[in-house]
Amino acid sequence: MEGAVSYQRFPKVRIREIKDDYMKFELRETDASIANALRRVMIAEVPTVAIDLVEIEVNSTVLNDEFIAHRLGLVPLTSDDAMRMRLSRDCDSCDGDGQCEFCSVEFHLNVSCDSDQTLDVTSADLRSTEPRVCPVDVAARALSLGVDSTSYDTGDHRGILIVKLRRGQELRLRAIARKGIGKDHAKWSPAATVTFMYEPEIHINEELMETLTLEEKRNWIDSSPTKVFDIDPNTHQVVVVDAEAYTYDDEVIKKAEAMGKPGLIEIYGKEDSFIFTVESTGAIKAYQLVINAIEILRQKLDAVRLQDSEESDFGELSAHL
Amino acid sequence: MNAPDRYERFVVPEGTKKVSYERDTKIVNAASFTVEREDHTIGNIIRMQLHRDPNVLFAGYKLPHPLQYKILVRIHTTSQSSPTQAYGQAIEDLDKELQYLKKALEEEKVRYEENLRQGY
Repeated sequence: MEGAVSYQRFPKVRIREIKDDYMKFELRETDASIANALRRVMIAEVPTVAIDLVEIEVNSTVLNDEFIAHRLGLVPLTSDDAMRMRLSRDCDSCDGDGQCEFCSVEFHLNVSCDSDQTLDVTSADLRSTEPRVCPVDVAARALSLGVDSTSYDTGDHRGILIVKLRRGQELRLRAIARKGIGKDHAKWSPAATVTFMYEPEIHINEELMETLTLEEKRNWIDSSPTKVFDIDPNTHQVVVVDAEAYTYDDEVIKKAEAMGKPGLIEIYGKEDSFIFTVESTGAIKAYQLVINAIEILRQKLDAVRLQDSEESDFGELSAHL
Repeated sequence: MNAPDRYERFVVPEGTKKVSYERDTKIVNAASFTVEREDHTIGNIIRMQLHRDPNVLFAGYKLPHPLQYKILVRIHTTSQSSPTQAYGQAIEDLDKELQYLKKALEEEKVRYEENLRQGY
Protein backbone atom coordinates (compact mmCIF):
# COMPACT_ATOMS: atom_id res chain seq x y z
CA MET A 1 0.00 0.00 0.00
CA GLU A 2 2.76 2.40 1.00
CA GLY A 3 4.64 3.94 -1.90
CA ALA A 4 2.32 2.51 -4.52
CA VAL A 5 2.29 5.65 -6.67
CA SER A 6 5.00 8.25 -6.93
CA TYR A 7 4.58 11.89 -7.88
CA GLN A 8 8.31 12.53 -7.96
CA ARG A 9 9.86 15.11 -10.25
CA PHE A 10 13.19 14.90 -12.05
CA PRO A 11 14.74 18.36 -12.03
CA LYS A 12 17.32 19.40 -14.61
CA VAL A 13 20.37 21.57 -13.87
CA ARG A 14 22.69 23.52 -16.14
CA ILE A 15 25.73 25.24 -14.71
CA ARG A 16 26.60 28.57 -16.29
CA GLU A 17 29.61 29.56 -14.24
CA ILE A 18 31.55 28.31 -11.24
CA LYS A 19 34.19 30.22 -9.31
CA ASP A 20 35.37 29.53 -5.77
CA ASP A 21 32.97 31.99 -4.22
CA TYR A 22 30.42 32.40 -7.01
CA MET A 23 28.11 30.13 -8.93
CA LYS A 24 25.34 30.68 -11.47
CA PHE A 25 23.09 27.86 -12.62
CA GLU A 26 19.69 27.07 -14.10
CA LEU A 27 17.26 24.82 -12.31
CA ARG A 28 14.37 23.43 -14.35
CA GLU A 29 11.38 21.13 -14.09
CA THR A 30 10.66 21.73 -10.44
CA ASP A 31 8.63 24.38 -8.62
CA ALA A 32 9.24 27.54 -6.65
CA SER A 33 8.85 25.76 -3.29
CA ILE A 34 11.95 23.64 -3.94
CA ALA A 35 13.91 26.62 -5.28
CA ASN A 36 12.97 28.69 -2.25
CA ALA A 37 13.70 25.88 0.20
CA LEU A 38 17.18 25.53 -1.30
CA ARG A 39 17.74 29.27 -1.04
CA ARG A 40 16.58 29.36 2.57
CA VAL A 41 18.72 26.38 3.56
CA MET A 42 21.83 27.87 1.91
CA ILE A 43 21.38 31.09 3.86
CA ALA A 44 20.34 29.80 7.26
CA GLU A 45 21.04 26.10 7.70
CA VAL A 46 24.27 25.05 6.03
CA PRO A 47 26.81 24.80 8.88
CA THR A 48 30.12 26.64 9.09
CA VAL A 49 32.69 27.31 11.79
CA ALA A 50 32.92 30.71 13.49
CA ILE A 51 34.45 32.11 16.66
CA ASP A 52 31.88 31.76 19.42
CA LEU A 53 33.68 32.02 22.74
CA VAL A 54 36.40 34.54 23.55
CA GLU A 55 38.50 34.70 26.71
CA ILE A 56 40.23 38.04 26.90
CA GLU A 57 43.47 38.09 28.88
CA VAL A 58 44.61 41.63 28.17
CA ASN A 59 42.70 44.33 26.38
CA SER A 60 43.99 47.88 26.56
CA THR A 61 42.62 48.85 23.16
CA VAL A 62 39.98 51.50 22.54
CA LEU A 63 37.31 48.86 21.89
CA ASN A 64 35.67 47.04 24.77
CA ASP A 65 35.87 43.25 25.21
CA GLU A 66 32.45 42.34 23.85
CA PHE A 67 32.92 44.62 20.85
CA ILE A 68 36.10 42.73 19.94
CA ALA A 69 34.50 39.35 20.60
CA HIS A 70 31.67 40.30 18.25
CA ARG A 71 34.08 41.39 15.52
CA LEU A 72 36.05 38.15 15.86
CA GLY A 73 32.83 36.17 15.45
CA LEU A 74 32.14 37.82 12.11
CA VAL A 75 35.48 36.78 10.58
CA PRO A 76 34.68 33.99 8.08
CA LEU A 77 36.70 30.81 8.71
CA THR A 78 37.39 28.00 6.24
CA SER A 79 34.69 25.43 7.00
CA ASP A 80 35.19 22.56 4.56
CA ASP A 81 34.95 20.07 7.45
CA ALA A 82 31.92 21.67 9.10
CA MET A 83 29.48 19.09 7.70
CA ARG A 84 31.48 16.37 9.47
CA MET A 85 31.99 18.24 12.74
CA ARG A 86 29.70 17.99 15.75
CA LEU A 87 27.71 20.79 17.25
CA SER A 88 29.25 21.41 20.66
CA ARG A 89 25.75 21.03 22.14
CA ASP A 90 25.59 17.40 20.93
CA CYS A 91 29.23 16.57 21.60
CA ASP A 92 29.74 13.80 24.15
CA SER A 93 33.55 13.99 24.21
CA CYS A 94 33.46 17.33 25.97
CA ASP A 95 30.99 19.50 27.82
CA GLY A 96 30.85 21.92 24.95
CA ASP A 97 33.64 23.96 26.46
CA GLY A 98 35.64 23.68 23.26
CA GLN A 99 38.36 21.41 24.52
CA CYS A 100 37.82 18.66 21.99
CA GLU A 101 38.77 18.14 18.37
CA PHE A 102 35.31 17.00 17.21
CA CYS A 103 33.45 20.21 17.85
CA SER A 104 35.85 23.12 18.21
CA VAL A 105 39.03 24.85 17.12
CA GLU A 106 41.11 27.09 19.34
CA PHE A 107 42.64 30.40 18.23
CA HIS A 108 45.18 32.62 19.92
CA LEU A 109 45.83 36.27 19.36
CA ASN A 110 48.64 38.23 20.94
CA VAL A 111 49.52 41.67 19.58
CA SER A 112 51.03 44.73 21.21
CA CYS A 113 52.12 48.02 19.72
CA ASP A 114 55.45 49.58 20.65
CA SER A 115 55.94 52.03 17.81
CA ASP A 116 54.53 55.49 17.16
CA GLN A 117 52.71 54.24 14.12
CA THR A 118 49.19 52.87 14.41
CA LEU A 119 49.21 49.09 14.34
CA ASP A 120 46.38 47.16 12.69
CA VAL A 121 45.25 43.94 14.36
CA THR A 122 43.81 41.79 11.57
CA SER A 123 42.56 38.29 10.85
CA ALA A 124 46.15 37.47 9.84
CA ASP A 125 47.17 37.76 13.51
CA LEU A 126 44.86 34.93 14.54
CA ARG A 127 46.88 31.78 15.16
CA SER A 128 44.88 28.61 14.65
CA THR A 129 45.62 25.30 16.36
CA GLU A 130 44.09 23.45 13.43
CA PRO A 131 45.58 24.30 10.01
CA ARG A 132 42.39 23.34 8.14
CA VAL A 133 40.45 26.08 9.92
CA CYS A 134 41.76 29.62 9.46
CA PRO A 135 40.41 33.00 8.30
CA VAL A 136 39.35 32.73 4.63
CA ASP A 137 41.38 35.71 3.46
CA VAL A 138 44.53 34.19 4.97
CA ALA A 139 43.79 30.86 3.26
CA ALA A 140 43.08 32.54 -0.09
CA ARG A 141 46.31 34.52 0.10
CA ALA A 142 48.38 31.48 0.95
CA LEU A 143 46.84 29.70 -2.02
CA SER A 144 47.37 32.54 -4.50
CA LEU A 145 51.00 32.99 -3.40
CA GLY A 146 51.58 29.33 -4.11
CA VAL A 147 50.04 29.38 -7.59
CA ASP A 148 50.33 32.88 -9.02
CA SER A 149 50.52 36.01 -6.95
CA THR A 150 48.84 38.16 -9.61
CA SER A 151 45.38 36.68 -9.18
CA TYR A 152 44.85 38.27 -5.80
CA ASP A 153 45.13 41.89 -4.72
CA THR A 154 48.84 42.24 -4.25
CA GLY A 155 50.51 44.20 -1.48
CA ASP A 156 47.45 46.00 -0.24
CA HIS A 157 45.87 42.91 1.28
CA ARG A 158 46.49 42.85 5.01
CA GLY A 159 43.59 40.79 6.29
CA ILE A 160 40.32 41.71 7.93
CA LEU A 161 40.74 44.60 10.37
CA ILE A 162 39.72 43.81 13.94
CA VAL A 163 41.03 46.79 15.91
CA LYS A 164 43.78 49.45 15.69
CA LEU A 165 46.44 49.88 18.40
CA ARG A 166 48.49 52.96 19.35
CA ARG A 167 51.73 52.91 21.29
CA GLY A 168 51.52 50.92 24.50
CA GLN A 169 48.20 49.19 23.76
CA GLU A 170 47.92 45.44 23.80
CA LEU A 171 45.43 42.73 22.92
CA ARG A 172 45.85 39.15 24.10
CA LEU A 173 43.08 36.57 23.96
CA ARG A 174 42.03 32.97 23.42
CA ALA A 175 39.10 32.27 21.12
CA ILE A 176 37.14 29.12 20.46
CA ALA A 177 35.50 28.54 17.10
CA ARG A 178 32.52 26.23 16.91
CA LYS A 179 30.21 24.77 14.35
CA GLY A 180 26.87 26.52 13.96
CA ILE A 181 24.14 27.56 11.53
CA GLY A 182 22.93 30.93 10.27
CA LYS A 183 19.58 30.45 11.99
CA ASP A 184 21.38 30.67 15.33
CA HIS A 185 23.48 33.72 14.42
CA ALA A 186 24.23 35.30 11.04
CA LYS A 187 27.98 34.92 11.62
CA TRP A 188 27.55 31.22 10.79
CA SER A 189 25.87 31.88 7.44
CA PRO A 190 28.09 30.71 4.57
CA ALA A 191 26.08 32.71 2.04
CA ALA A 192 26.79 36.31 1.07
CA THR A 193 23.82 36.37 -1.28
CA VAL A 194 21.62 33.67 -2.75
CA THR A 195 18.96 34.72 -5.24
CA PHE A 196 16.84 33.09 -7.89
CA MET A 197 14.63 34.52 -10.59
CA TYR A 198 12.04 33.06 -12.94
CA GLU A 199 13.34 32.72 -16.46
CA PRO A 200 11.44 35.33 -18.52
CA GLU A 201 9.60 34.35 -21.67
CA ILE A 202 9.17 37.34 -24.01
CA HIS A 203 6.76 37.36 -26.94
CA ILE A 204 6.85 40.36 -29.28
CA ASN A 205 3.78 40.86 -31.47
CA GLU A 206 5.77 41.34 -34.69
CA GLU A 207 2.76 42.41 -36.73
CA LEU A 208 1.88 45.18 -34.31
CA MET A 209 5.56 46.10 -33.89
CA GLU A 210 5.89 46.76 -37.62
CA THR A 211 3.17 49.42 -37.38
CA LEU A 212 5.64 51.53 -35.35
CA THR A 213 8.07 53.93 -36.96
CA LEU A 214 11.79 53.53 -36.25
CA GLU A 215 11.60 56.54 -33.97
CA GLU A 216 8.71 55.02 -32.01
CA LYS A 217 10.57 51.72 -31.68
CA ARG A 218 13.59 53.53 -30.25
CA ASN A 219 11.35 55.37 -27.81
CA TRP A 220 9.74 52.14 -26.73
CA ILE A 221 13.09 50.37 -26.27
CA ASP A 222 14.38 53.28 -24.19
CA SER A 223 11.41 52.97 -21.82
CA SER A 224 12.94 49.82 -20.34
CA PRO A 225 15.19 50.62 -17.35
CA THR A 226 17.45 47.68 -18.24
CA LYS A 227 18.76 46.82 -21.68
CA VAL A 228 16.44 44.01 -22.74
CA PHE A 229 15.68 45.00 -26.36
CA ASP A 230 17.58 46.52 -29.25
CA ILE A 231 17.10 47.29 -32.93
CA ASP A 232 18.68 45.10 -35.54
CA PRO A 233 20.80 47.57 -37.56
CA ASN A 234 20.02 45.82 -40.86
CA THR A 235 16.36 44.90 -40.68
CA HIS A 236 15.32 47.67 -38.23
CA GLN A 237 13.38 45.03 -36.30
CA VAL A 238 13.12 44.99 -32.53
CA VAL A 239 15.05 42.04 -31.11
CA VAL A 240 15.51 40.68 -27.57
CA VAL A 241 19.18 41.03 -26.68
CA ASP A 242 19.10 39.98 -23.05
CA ALA A 243 15.86 38.49 -21.75
CA GLU A 244 17.30 37.98 -18.26
CA ALA A 245 18.04 41.67 -17.86
CA TYR A 246 14.28 42.12 -17.53
CA THR A 247 13.38 42.90 -13.94
CA TYR A 248 9.60 42.29 -14.21
CA ASP A 249 9.10 46.05 -13.91
CA ASP A 250 6.26 46.18 -16.53
CA GLU A 251 7.66 49.46 -17.92
CA VAL A 252 7.66 48.30 -21.54
CA ILE A 253 4.11 47.01 -21.19
CA LYS A 254 2.91 50.32 -19.76
CA LYS A 255 4.77 52.19 -22.50
CA ALA A 256 3.12 50.09 -25.20
CA GLU A 257 -0.27 50.89 -23.70
CA ALA A 258 0.59 54.59 -23.49
CA MET A 259 1.54 54.49 -27.19
CA GLY A 260 -1.89 53.05 -27.95
CA LYS A 261 -0.51 49.60 -28.80
CA PRO A 262 -1.70 47.26 -26.05
CA GLY A 263 -0.65 43.66 -26.67
CA LEU A 264 2.58 44.78 -28.35
CA ILE A 265 4.47 42.63 -25.93
CA GLU A 266 3.71 39.81 -23.53
CA ILE A 267 6.17 38.69 -20.84
CA TYR A 268 5.73 35.73 -18.53
CA GLY A 269 7.92 34.18 -15.89
CA LYS A 270 8.30 30.46 -16.61
CA GLU A 271 7.05 28.90 -13.43
CA ASP A 272 9.31 25.87 -13.55
CA SER A 273 12.61 27.50 -14.58
CA PHE A 274 14.89 29.31 -12.18
CA ILE A 275 18.18 31.09 -12.54
CA PHE A 276 20.19 30.89 -9.33
CA THR A 277 23.02 33.17 -8.30
CA VAL A 278 25.00 31.97 -5.28
CA GLU A 279 27.74 34.00 -3.64
CA SER A 280 29.65 32.50 -0.74
CA THR A 281 31.55 34.28 2.03
CA GLY A 282 34.46 31.98 1.26
CA ALA A 283 33.81 29.70 4.23
CA ILE A 284 32.67 27.00 1.79
CA LYS A 285 33.09 26.95 -1.99
CA ALA A 286 29.90 28.07 -3.77
CA TYR A 287 29.40 24.71 -5.49
CA GLN A 288 29.86 22.86 -2.20
CA LEU A 289 27.35 25.23 -0.60
CA VAL A 290 24.67 24.09 -3.06
CA ILE A 291 25.54 20.41 -2.57
CA ASN A 292 25.50 20.82 1.22
CA ALA A 293 22.15 22.59 1.05
CA ILE A 294 20.60 19.65 -0.82
CA GLU A 295 22.06 17.27 1.75
CA ILE A 296 20.81 19.32 4.71
CA LEU A 297 17.34 19.56 3.19
CA ARG A 298 17.28 15.77 2.84
CA GLN A 299 18.31 15.38 6.47
CA LYS A 300 15.54 17.77 7.50
CA LEU A 301 12.97 15.80 5.51
CA ASP A 302 14.21 12.61 7.08
CA ALA A 303 13.68 14.11 10.54
CA VAL A 304 10.04 15.01 9.86
CA ARG A 305 9.06 11.49 8.79
CA LEU A 306 6.37 9.88 10.89
CA GLN A 307 7.84 7.20 13.11
CA ASP A 308 6.68 3.65 12.31
CA SER A 309 4.81 3.31 15.57
CA GLU A 310 2.72 6.36 14.70
CA GLU A 311 1.82 5.19 11.24
CA SER A 312 -1.54 3.67 11.84
CA ASP A 313 -3.19 3.63 8.43
CA PHE A 314 -5.17 0.56 9.27
CA GLY A 315 -5.92 1.82 12.73
CA GLU A 316 -7.46 4.91 11.24
CA LEU A 317 -9.51 2.88 8.80
CA SER A 318 -10.93 0.66 11.50
CA ALA A 319 -11.59 3.64 13.74
CA HIS A 320 -13.99 5.04 11.18
CA LEU A 321 -15.71 1.77 10.34
CA MET B 1 18.00 39.28 30.45
CA ASN B 2 14.90 37.13 30.00
CA ALA B 3 15.43 36.56 26.29
CA PRO B 4 14.84 32.95 25.25
CA ASP B 5 17.95 31.02 24.19
CA ARG B 6 18.66 31.23 20.47
CA TYR B 7 18.92 27.47 20.12
CA GLU B 8 15.24 27.14 21.04
CA ARG B 9 14.52 27.89 17.39
CA PHE B 10 15.91 24.59 16.18
CA VAL B 11 16.39 22.19 19.10
CA VAL B 12 13.36 20.03 19.88
CA PRO B 13 12.77 20.18 23.66
CA GLU B 14 13.23 16.95 25.56
CA GLY B 15 10.05 14.96 25.92
CA THR B 16 8.50 16.53 22.83
CA LYS B 17 7.92 14.62 19.60
CA LYS B 18 9.27 16.09 16.36
CA VAL B 19 6.07 15.13 14.51
CA SER B 20 2.70 14.41 16.01
CA TYR B 21 -0.70 14.19 14.40
CA GLU B 22 -4.27 14.41 15.36
CA ARG B 23 -7.17 13.04 13.35
CA ASP B 24 -10.13 15.25 12.67
CA THR B 25 -13.08 14.08 14.73
CA LYS B 26 -15.75 15.23 12.29
CA ILE B 27 -14.33 14.48 8.83
CA VAL B 28 -13.09 11.14 7.56
CA ASN B 29 -9.52 11.11 6.22
CA ALA B 30 -8.56 14.51 7.57
CA ALA B 31 -5.76 15.20 10.02
CA SER B 32 -3.48 17.91 11.34
CA PHE B 33 0.23 17.28 11.72
CA THR B 34 2.29 19.33 14.14
CA VAL B 35 5.95 19.54 13.18
CA GLU B 36 8.15 20.97 15.92
CA ARG B 37 11.06 23.34 15.17
CA GLU B 38 10.38 23.65 11.45
CA ASP B 39 9.31 26.59 9.30
CA HIS B 40 8.38 27.59 5.74
CA THR B 41 11.38 25.70 4.33
CA ILE B 42 9.82 22.34 5.15
CA GLY B 43 6.17 23.45 5.32
CA ASN B 44 5.96 24.84 1.83
CA ILE B 45 7.72 21.98 0.03
CA ILE B 46 5.50 19.41 1.76
CA ARG B 47 2.37 21.38 0.93
CA MET B 48 3.31 21.75 -2.75
CA GLN B 49 4.25 18.08 -3.01
CA LEU B 50 0.91 17.07 -1.45
CA HIS B 51 -0.86 19.14 -4.11
CA ARG B 52 0.62 16.86 -6.77
CA ASP B 53 -1.19 13.90 -5.23
CA PRO B 54 -4.68 13.56 -6.80
CA ASN B 55 -5.95 11.76 -3.69
CA VAL B 56 -5.28 14.84 -1.59
CA LEU B 57 -8.38 17.02 -1.44
CA PHE B 58 -6.83 19.67 0.75
CA ALA B 59 -3.30 20.39 1.93
CA GLY B 60 -2.17 23.50 3.72
CA TYR B 61 0.37 24.57 6.30
CA LYS B 62 0.74 27.46 8.69
CA LEU B 63 3.30 28.92 11.00
CA PRO B 64 0.94 29.91 13.83
CA HIS B 65 3.21 32.53 15.38
CA PRO B 66 6.78 33.67 14.67
CA LEU B 67 7.81 32.90 18.24
CA GLN B 68 6.21 29.44 18.30
CA TYR B 69 8.77 27.38 16.46
CA LYS B 70 6.43 24.87 14.89
CA ILE B 71 4.25 24.40 11.83
CA LEU B 72 0.85 22.84 11.38
CA VAL B 73 0.17 20.81 8.23
CA ARG B 74 -3.44 19.95 7.52
CA ILE B 75 -4.30 17.20 5.06
CA HIS B 76 -7.64 15.95 3.79
CA THR B 77 -7.68 13.00 1.38
CA THR B 78 -10.10 10.83 -0.53
CA SER B 79 -11.00 7.38 0.81
CA GLN B 80 -8.40 5.92 -1.57
CA SER B 81 -5.67 7.29 0.68
CA SER B 82 -5.14 8.59 4.19
CA PRO B 83 -3.46 11.69 5.59
CA THR B 84 -0.58 9.66 7.04
CA GLN B 85 -0.05 7.83 3.79
CA ALA B 86 -0.13 11.04 1.73
CA TYR B 87 2.24 12.74 4.18
CA GLY B 88 4.69 9.84 4.08
CA GLN B 89 4.50 9.64 0.30
CA ALA B 90 5.13 13.38 -0.10
CA ILE B 91 8.28 13.18 2.02
CA GLU B 92 9.43 10.07 0.18
CA ASP B 93 8.97 11.77 -3.21
CA LEU B 94 10.72 14.96 -2.10
CA ASP B 95 13.62 12.98 -0.75
CA LYS B 96 13.98 11.10 -4.04
CA GLU B 97 13.74 14.35 -5.98
CA LEU B 98 16.56 15.89 -3.95
CA GLN B 99 18.63 12.75 -4.29
CA TYR B 100 18.14 12.94 -8.05
CA LEU B 101 18.93 16.66 -8.05
CA LYS B 102 22.20 16.12 -6.21
CA LYS B 103 23.30 13.45 -8.67
CA ALA B 104 22.26 15.65 -11.62
CA LEU B 105 24.27 18.57 -10.22
CA GLU B 106 27.36 16.43 -9.70
CA GLU B 107 27.14 15.07 -13.25
CA GLU B 108 26.59 18.56 -14.62
CA LYS B 109 29.71 19.78 -12.83
CA VAL B 110 31.79 17.05 -14.46
CA ARG B 111 30.36 18.04 -17.86
CA TYR B 112 30.94 21.76 -17.16
CA GLU B 113 34.58 21.18 -16.21
CA GLU B 114 35.12 18.96 -19.24
CA ASN B 115 33.78 21.76 -21.47
CA LEU B 116 36.11 24.25 -19.77
CA ARG B 117 39.12 22.04 -20.45
CA GLN B 118 38.22 21.71 -24.12
CA GLY B 119 37.80 25.47 -24.34
CA TYR B 120 41.47 25.99 -23.55
